[in-house]
Amino acid sequence: MVGKVARDAATAEFFDGTARGELLLRRCHDGHLSSPYATACETCAAADLTATPAKGGGTVVSHAAAHRRDGTTLPLVIVELDEGPWWWSCVVGAEPHEVTTGARVRLHHERADGGSEAVPVFRLVAA
Amino acid sequence: MGEAAADPLTPRTMPRGRTPAIVGLGMTEMGKVYDRTAAEFAADAVRLAVADAGLSLEDVDGLLTSAGVGGGVGLGLARDLGLRDLAVLSEMQSYGSTAGQMVQYASLAVASGMAGTIACVFADAPLRQGTSTGAAYGSRGAVGWRGVLGASGIADTTSMYALAARRHMDTYGTTQDQLGHIAVGQRAWAGMNPRAQFRDPLTLEQYHASRWITEPFHLLDCCLVSNGGIAVVVTSAERAGSLARPPVHVHGWGQAHPGRSLLRHENFGLVSGAARSGPAALAMAGLSVSDVDVVELYDCYTFTVLITLEDYGFCPKGEGGRFVADGTLGPDGKLKVNTGGGQLSSYYLWGMTPLSEAVLQARGEAGERQVADHDVVLVSGNGGVLDHHSTLVLSPHAPGRA
Repeated sequence: MVGKVARDAATAEFFDGTARGELLLRRCHDGHLSSPYATACETCAAADLTATPAKGGGTVVSHAAAHRRDGTTLPLVIVELDEGPWWWSCVVGAEPHEVTTGARVRLHHERADGGSEAVPVFRLVAA
Repeated sequence: MGEAAADPLTPRTMPRGRTPAIVGLGMTEMGKVYDRTAAEFAADAVRLAVADAGLSLEDVDGLLTSAGVGGGVGLGLARDLGLRDLAVLSEMQSYGSTAGQMVQYASLAVASGMAGTIACVFADAPLRQGTSTGAAYGSRGAVGWRGVLGASGIADTTSMYALAARRHMDTYGTTQDQLGHIAVGQRAWAGMNPRAQFRDPLTLEQYHASRWITEPFHLLDCCLVSNGGIAVVVTSAERAGSLARPPVHVHGWGQAHPGRSLLRHENFGLVSGAARSGPAALAMAGLSVSDVDVVELYDCYTFTVLITLEDYGFCPKGEGGRFVADGTLGPDGKLKVNTGGGQLSSYYLWGMTPLSEAVLQARGEAGERQVADHDVVLVSGNGGVLDHHSTLVLSPHAPGRA
């Protein structure tokens, strides 16, 4: 289960996207795609970027297993989206030992109970 | 003038004129010390460092400050210490690489004649009596980009370094046991350090049995948390000769800031800024890695030691795991690394942990744990999640005689 998060001015467009089930990448005039975090193009440093939704597929670059205070474990991942940018999040609906480097994942969004923005997470794609 | 930007691998010479030396070291009581604020620790550390050098506060004409997560150490420290008419005063922040950077900027100021005697200080007091160590570095509000990361479960730097370490393990075959050798080796050094918070011997079995924080990190892969302050005083080698302590000459330095935090980064967890900063610092000193006698590395996690050893060139890339597990570490090891126990076992005052031990070793004042050959001491600083790196090359010998 994801935690609560609130928007600020810098993340308003991003959270409008997650509310629609979209992870908004950033595209420059030359068509390079950058992470949602990027304020300058990751390829050419252009500052004029527009939002474009990721298609949702990705591959695990690295993983870790957080052991939380409530006794549960959560698989954490860095995912290379099929468009190229990376996104750091968790995998829901899987145990840590099921998550391996190179595994295929699919974007998904979850929202904590009690008033929060939706958060991009991943699910394993059955091999 | 008008020369092309220096390649980090091209040797650069020390600035002409006044070569810099560390002449004072001040260390407050460290650990679970609750009776002082960070600003008070910082003031105490500066007073101790200045006294250690055989100087008085009136001799100080420069001050560089660095605060930890708790903040509270800044420009006001000059007033707290009664320092007037300073030629250099600034608050600096590059996380764990700051301590090394403060010595670099102080060295540049001394070499240029901008200032004569500069105190560099870090202090932090994140521990509160009656609360957990985890709470000291706990969440800082789930808002905006930082909040997205935390809400996704990546709530602390331990998780982020764990992702870095796992990538190294999957790419090069680095094992949990190899990370454990770093914790065990450093604890053996800590047993000889009266300032160390953890001095009991540690076995690999105890390492593996310690609880998971974020796999692949056990509790004993992670640095501890300390309250306290450490300061150093930098002046010219010329002046150092007449002071109270053996000077520790600053022969070379470097920094590297990859600049890809949370973005696509092919080298994430595999190669850090140390790979540029280390060779640049050694080249400035006119030395190579084989000349290094003592290595004091920033060790927020065991893995940070492993990747820095590789990036500095002590072993080939990807072989750090085998290197550290092969009798390299610990007091009887082939390479003298983190001789005070480091942040894993002794005390966690960011980049001042490796720097303070480096000064003690270079002076020959490390007591029971003193390394016999200490002509060249290499010091690293690391900040963010392998985002910022600083390197210092120190020696008890003046440049040209190392």
